[in-house]
Amino acid sequence: MQMTDPLLSVENAKISFRTVVGQVDAVKNVSYEVRRGETLAVVGESGSGKSVTARAVMGMLAPNAIVGEDTKIMFDGEDLSEWPELKLQDIRGRRIAMIFQEPLTSLNPVYKIGDQVGEIITAHRKISKADLRKEVVRLLDEVQLPDPETRFSQYPHEMSGGQRQRVMIAMALANNPDLLIADEPTTALDVTVQAEILSLLKDLQKKHGMAVVLITHDLTVVSKVSDTVVVMRQGEVVERGNTQEVFENPQHPYTKHLINSEPKGHPDPLPENAEPVLSGSHMSISFMLKAGGFFNPKLTELKAVNDISATIHKGETLGIVGESGSGKTTLAMAMIKLGNYQKGEITFQGNRIDQLSRKDMQPYRTRMQVVFQDPFSSLNPRMIIRQILEEGLIVNNIGGSAEARDALVRQALDDVHMPHSALDRFPHEFSGGQRQRLAIARAIVLSPEFILLDEPTSALDLSIQAQIIDLLRELRRKRDLSYLFISHDLKVVRALCHNVIVMQRGQVVEMGPTEQVLTDPKTAYTRRLVDAAFNVVA
Amino acid sequence: MTDQMIDQTPDAPDFNMNSEVASGPSLSYWQLVRKRFQGNRTGMIGMIICCVIVFTAMFAPFLAPYTPATKDRTAIYTPPQLVRFISEDGGLTRPFVLGFAEEMNPVTYEITFKPSHEQRVDLGLFVQGEDYKFLGMTFSTHLFGGVDGAPVHFLGTDGLGRDVFSRMLYGSRITLLMGLIVMGAACVIGTFVGVTSGYMGGRTDTIIQRVIEFVKSFPDLPLYLALVAVLPRRADPMLTFIMFAAIVVVLKWADLARELRGKVIAIRSVEFVRAAVAVGANDRRIIGRHIIPNMSSHIIVWATYVLPEVILLESFLSFLGVGIQQPMVSWGVMLNAVRDFQSLASAPWLLAPVGMIILSVLAFNALGDGLRDAMDPYAND
Repeated sequence: MQMTDPLLSVENAKISFRTVVGQVDAVKNVSYEVRRGETLAVVGESGSGKSVTARAVMGMLAPNAIVGEDTKIMFDGEDLSEWPELKLQDIRGRRIAMIFQEPLTSLNPVYKIGDQVGEIITAHRKISKADLRKEVVRLLDEVQLPDPETRFSQYPHEMSGGQRQRVMIAMALANNPDLLIADEPTTALDVTVQAEILSLLKDLQKKHGMAVVLITHDLTVVSKVSDTVVVMRQGEVVERGNTQEVFENPQHPYTKHLINSEPKGHPDPLPENAEPVLSGSHMSISFMLKAGGFFNPKLTELKAVNDISATIHKGETLGIVGESGSGKTTLAMAMIKLGNYQKGEITFQGNRIDQLSRKDMQPYRTRMQVVFQDPFSSLNPRMIIRQILEEGLIVNNIGGSAEARDALVRQALDDVHMPHSALDRFPHEFSGGQRQRLAIARAIVLSPEFILLDEPTSALDLSIQAQIIDLLRELRRKRDLSYLFISHDLKVVRALCHNVIVMQRGQVVEMGPTEQVLTDPKTAYTRRLVDAAFNVVA
Repeated sequence: MTDQMIDQTPDAPDFNMNSEVASGPSLSYWQLVRKRFQGNRTGMIGMIICCVIVFTAMFAPFLAPYTPATKDRTAIYTPPQLVRFISEDGGLTRPFVLGFAEEMNPVTYEITFKPSHEQRVDLGLFVQGEDYKFLGMTFSTHLFGGVDGAPVHFLGTDGLGRDVFSRMLYGSRITLLMGLIVMGAACVIGTFVGVTSGYMGGRTDTIIQRVIEFVKSFPDLPLYLALVAVLPRRADPMLTFIMFAAIVVVLKWADLARELRGKVIAIRSVEFVRAAVAVGANDRRIIGRHIIPNMSSHIIVWATYVLPEVILLESFLSFLGVGIQQPMVSWGVMLNAVRDFQSLASAPWLLAPVGMIILSVLAFNALGDGLRDAMDPYAND
């Protein structure tokens, strides 16, 4: 790599937002630069200001943003922060392109793929219709979408998340940009797809000689893909440098903390001859899908769970892994009678529960609890934390007096390492990791014996994931819990689960002790999951 | 063993999230809404005007110089009187109005009114006037009026010599009462039906939705006309008022019920509701503590939009003579007096209620817009 002038340099960026509760400083004095052919990774937790800085480069900040006076955004020798909107419009999509996190919402559902990619081209240059089509097909081919000719006239809903992200990349590449900003391009994708998208990005960068700014919270991605790295925390750069050097010898304690926050460790050894807590045998769940027209209705059966048996013993953590749509959540929710249920036998501590009505389930509810994936929607925004935690105690008549309930609630907060000052606050005042702790507190306040964990870490930043995993392990030990742990991330599963079930399209493809399944996968599907989790980019 | 407690050396900075729990005052959702609303100028102005209108309606007997039925036989179709502060000789005096000298056009026999300085009427505050009842007690003090009971008609009089200004203030009571009754009843019915439909699902939902479609497809004007046809000619005006309000409610609740049904279906599958099911909460608790509080902003905004609609509907139907009946006074009833061109041309001041209708509709819409913006959970300012 020859030393040239940086293509993009952000100098002294300072961005704040006007809000009802006063001015919030999102970015304080951030500088970084990236050269042609180089990949810069900007790493930090959510709220560290990494995306805001990138949006400032594109001139795409929310209207309530205030950009500091000393902020300079030099792109190829010119200061973009002084450019008017019209001039910026010309440069966006032509010289600077951006890929967003959420491929499901960043494509317009009513236009065909070909039209959407073509629009980027026609917005910046004149091209004949025939050439446009050829160009779009070439781009779709370049991002390795199978059968690009057919894709041209497909709609976004006909494609998977990974394929849509490829389309987004094709759109970004349409005008051969000098700079590509990728804002968490793989976070919303399944692990197996993540790896493919990253290697695609890397290949394309080499081929086109672009500069890439990769925004991410995932350090494994950083170490495999980027040349230089900038670590951000609370709107400030805490460390910068060559990726390899930073990883080998991190200087700032926060960087060390991030590098050490990979989920690690192993589950505590399983007690021998533990009795089963929850077991299901030959469970099947199917949904009827309507197809055909009004006059010619056809019902097709979708088998979400197909004849699966599983048992969780006392003290055990059983993992269920699989890609999205593999039926893992449907299965688990059915086992605690929170979802649709059709066939098979479910036994909880020796009692058959599969035929019980919702009312009859009431006595079991305190003994089996659930923690959901998204901490932002699992706490009622109109209730304070005390009300949220108390609810289960009130409906089940636990604790009797208000003082006794208060003591139980405070005990649960202590157990999840949250301060008691949280009690009178509303959910929106907490970060994602804190909310997930509160959701766990809501589950453990009832002193359950079994908790279903439905991807409790996948909506969280990596460094916070590790803390939640530590917390879960600690609670399991302290309260003698059994877990059913749903995840698509094998790293987390390895750190937490004794046994694992691998699911694909409603069926078990492999099951057994975690170490055995991970080190010696029997099926190609499991091998693909393992490769994706532990060897990000080949 | 990588317990986080052991993991951290004592002097390492604490990157655990616990240290970052927000300090300072905790703002609830409604406090945030209030803050955001206070920053919205149009909304605030709308709210102030709405408050003034409601206040006027409540204290109409005190604010109005006359009762709506008082007839001044010496003043038929007199034009509005200007409040003056400068006397004939140019000096500043206490506020007064001028009485009218009647002149008859010898050709057309038309009577015209000219302000005459000989008939000066001084205005006073807290003057004694006609008795009125307020909260069960009888008073006779009015906020202002002519001293010693001299006649004052700020907005002129109608064909029977009744004071337009007083009638307009009294009219706001019936019009607003109608709006509030309809709003309240439609909200209660709409919420109940909508929540039932969305939460129960299945067959109940299907039946309720078909009923809503039937109600919404019903042509409303014939229904109001039918009301007039059904009621006896000399029916009690109160009965007409209640029947009229009932019909409007019957036609209005369906919109809210349908909107809320959709919201309930969305909220029902959100994880905090499923978490409540998981701790064993029953349906009543889930609806009362989880679903309705999360829809309250929607209901409030809907209510502020439905009020101006009812005001318009009332005045429109009463103008046609199918709504509220004399001797009840509402803005619409007052407009009914100017339905022929002759009275419109000779006494345009009878259109004064139109101003009030426009003002109140704009004010309630501004309030509704402001509330909607302030309650938007996705607002980022």
